Amino acid sequence: MGIIKKLPVYLEKIPGGGIVTTSLDSIFSYSQASSLWYLLFGTACCAIELMATGASRYDFDRLGMIFRASPRQSDLIIAAGTITKKMGPRLRLLYDQMAEPRYVIAMGGCTVGGGPFYYDSYAVEKGIDHIVPVDVYIPGCPPRPESLLEGCLTLQKKVKTLKIQDWS
Amino acid sequence: MNREELAKYLLDKFSDKIEPLETGKAEPFFLLKKPEDLVEFCRTVRDDATLRMDFLCMMCGVDTGENFEVVYSLASIKNRLRFDFKFPLPYDKAEIDSVQEVWAGANWFERETWELYGINIRNHDSLKRFLLPDNWDQGFPMRKNWDAPDFKRMPEV
Repeated sequence: MGIIKKLPVYLEKIPGGGIVTTSLDSIFSYSQASSLWYLLFGTACCAIELMATGASRYDFDRLGMIFRASPRQSDLIIAAGTITKKMGPRLRLLYDQMAEPRYVIAMGGCTVGGGPFYYDSYAVEKGIDHIVPVDVYIPGCPPRPESLLEGCLTLQKKVKTLKIQDWS
Repeated sequence: MNREELAKYLLDKFSDKIEPLETGKAEPFFLLKKPEDLVEFCRTVRDDATLRMDFLCMMCGVDTGENFEVVYSLASIKNRLRFDFKFPLPYDKAEIDSVQEVWAGANWFERETWELYGINIRNHDSLKRFLLPDNWDQGFPMRKNWDAPDFKRMPEV
């Protein structure tokens, strides 16, 4: 990350170096957006829709989305399902273990704002944006696979606008 | 032994300890008159040759808004029987005896009742956090008067 982040700083001093950095930007962001590997993180019924999206009928792979069982290999957490207060620190730990750049999709009512557990619940976190920064919110209980695909396409659009300098 | 025979047998044998409650449920339901009888009653129905209630299906607390109640649901796997019983507990004396020595499985149910309702369990061997987070410090969440900063009651409609 260090070298890639410093590269534009040195290149832009050279006449014509801007062309190199902008081309690099588009190459990097295009490759990232086309291979967003997501962490297997299903905690409730939304995970069933996530599985349906990953299966052959909706075929998540055609967007370059492949599931990973390790946070070290993933670019994206699709938080599919209720996050309880006990699960919150675990979600944060997994997020911290991912390599940057990293993204979060909040899938379903529970992760967006508590959903059906908004009232009368002592155990459920009212929205995962209290724990990790969220890029795309997908409402629904649970959202259909079409909604999830739309959410992922929205995230891809966002990733394509990012520049090397934006990487944290 | 069917439902009516079981209810009659229990009421004859423990006429001084229990009285029937009409609930419309499939199983007979009883009120235990004195909470002090709990362990002795449980041991008797477990060891009785006709009953052999060898399995504690479930045990939990209830907050009715006026007092606590503790509900026990028993089954006999050997004789294919089921019945439930409960008893009320006042708020200021929320304490019961452990039935661990009768059914070892009561351990986890009693820990759950202790941490969610604040009903103290006497003679329990490991009364520590069970379902709530380890650093929980907000009291007993299943009580009717419980409150927390991010807790919202369902509005009346």
